Amino acid sequence: MTAQAVAATARPRPARAWRAVLRLHQPALFLWGVFVTLVSAVLLWAYGPGGNAAGAAWRRKCTVDLCDLEDYSVDRYHLAFRFSEAAIDFLPILVALWAGGMLIGRELENGTAELAWTQSVSPVRWLATKLAAPAALLTAGTTLLVGLHRLLFDAHQVPKGWNWTDNGTFETNGPIAIAFPLLGLALGALAGLVVRRAAVGLMVAVLATGVARSLVLWASPHLWPWRTDVSALPDGYPPMKAAFHGGEGAVTSTGAHIPDPCGTAEKACLAAHDIVGHYREYHPSSQFWPLQLTETALILTVTALAVAAAFTLLRRRTA
Amino acid sequence: MTGTAAIEAAALGKRFGRRGGWALRDCAFRLPAGRVCAVVGPNGAGKSTLLTLAAGLLAPTEGAISVLGTVPGAARERVAYVAQDKPLYPQLSVAETLRMGADLNTDRWDASVAQRIVDDGDLNPKSRIRTLSGGQCTRVALALALAKRPELLLLDEPMADLDPLARHEMMGLLMAQAAESGTTIVMSSHVVAELEDSCDHLLLIGGGRVRLAGEIDELLAAHVHVSAPAHAVLAPHTVVESRTTGRQLSALVRPSSTLDTDWRTSTPSLEELVLSYLRNPEAGAAPAAKTEETAV
Repeated sequence: MTAQAVAATARPRPARAWRAVLRLHQPALFLWGVFVTLVSAVLLWAYGPGGNAAGAAWRRKCTVDLCDLEDYSVDRYHLAFRFSEAAIDFLPILVALWAGGMLIGRELENGTAELAWTQSVSPVRWLATKLAAPAALLTAGTTLLVGLHRLLFDAHQVPKGWNWTDNGTFETNGPIAIAFPLLGLALGALAGLVVRRAAVGLMVAVLATGVARSLVLWASPHLWPWRTDVSALPDGYPPMKAAFHGGEGAVTSTGAHIPDPCGTAEKACLAAHDIVGHYREYHPSSQFWPLQLTETALILTVTALAVAAAFTLLRRRTA
Repeated sequence: MTGTAAIEAAALGKRFGRRGGWALRDCAFRLPAGRVCAVVGPNGAGKSTLLTLAAGLLAPTEGAISVLGTVPGAARERVAYVAQDKPLYPQLSVAETLRMGADLNTDRWDASVAQRIVDDGDLNPKSRIRTLSGGQCTRVALALALAKRPELLLLDEPMADLDPLARHEMMGLLMAQAAESGTTIVMSSHVVAELEDSCDHLLLIGGGRVRLAGEIDELLAAHVHVSAPAHAVLAPHTVVESRTTGRQLSALVRPSSTLDTDWRTSTPSLEELVLSYLRNPEAGAAPAAKTEETAV
């Protein structure tokens, strides 16, 4: 202790608030390590031995008429893939829960935030550290998981059942899965600051993150222009593809797109409404990156707004 | 008085919520550096609010407060504050708490000071904060406050949960600090007797306003406890409080000239002085303003 103090006085140094943050949140740090290790291990297993076994089983299955029901390796392969997606998908909620409760809410409830502010760390710097340290660790971890998930998805050793547009698959294959936990962190911190209570803070944080996430998922496909397939009347609707699908409806002889008034191919109805064909909007897989990037930008915009609101609130409250 | 004031407030006010009541209003006082100042007043008078404003934990609703010649937010490094309920992280051990103090401070932090205070209390560095008694928590909180070698130390009801022996030890520790480093200490209490021996400056707060401010010696010297016949006329002296029992009048006055020689006079104790002012809210303003001038 004394040696440390002497060394410290010899060389001026600023406060190292990030170390205090890591020390305080050791349990969370540990759990995050466990989470990343576990999900990585599952993904790596599916990419390596699990995938090989599943691929072998799949080929065997396809060469005989009767499938080998005793072999669950294909099921395990799919389960591992879906488990990793579900875990990464659920992460923003867990992060919001922690940020609203443990990270910010509890500190304001117990007055320990004020303890930090009356050491040599200003409230603004305190919040900045509380957000930056977890954000850096979250980003590092999720980047690794997304990389492994992409690796597994691209290898796709059993050519069945996975679609790039699947719920969870699309998000986990790109930066969206890296941005969503940051949104949870920002909204959690804001919720904790607003309510200044741990229990209520975590509930508000989860609610806010859930709502924000749903809104983003609902809105983001519409931020990038849809492509449209049109079919002539006798063919009915254009066929579905392995793509995100948007609006669909009928095409009139003037080329206008209208909601389908007929439903079935009843000739009288079609003629009455001057319908000459059908259309279907979609995002093909070539739009993967534009879709990923617009959605990520939307998430990060909401995150930035939440962070700005948190800092404004804190600045207004303290001297 | 020259030099920077430890705390200077002008028209300071704080209201909680837009429609809430004023916790503190229209406060103006100046506390010179190097004093040990007692902030006294009844519960809910605004003592804690004043200290949190000085510590930069709250922004004032109106007016201004400056600490060590600057705004409270800019003086953080040189000001220490111990809140009334001594918040600490329950999950950390004593040693971890001290390491956290080192992390949250610049190299003003003197780990040996913190270590000595904790060692003197026979605290096991490995004990978790949640297992400590109230008095032990106070000791750790004071260690965090003193190790940053503050120029101004703000203590909100520091001795409330200490036994008499620990209280005596803590007070000794604080006074040694004040003497050694010239630290200005501001401590609040609603028990006046607790502060009488150790403080040389008084800030009396009642109903959210400063009722009396100044050096304790000067304040005591400026007031006289008078026993006179019931029909005695106390004017032109300022009467803080007077009571008639039978044919006897007993009063606390602030003489404006020489007192009638027939009256029996005595110097009031600090507690009598404080109680007289608190019992008579309307007696506050004028003398408080005057003593403030004499203190400056």
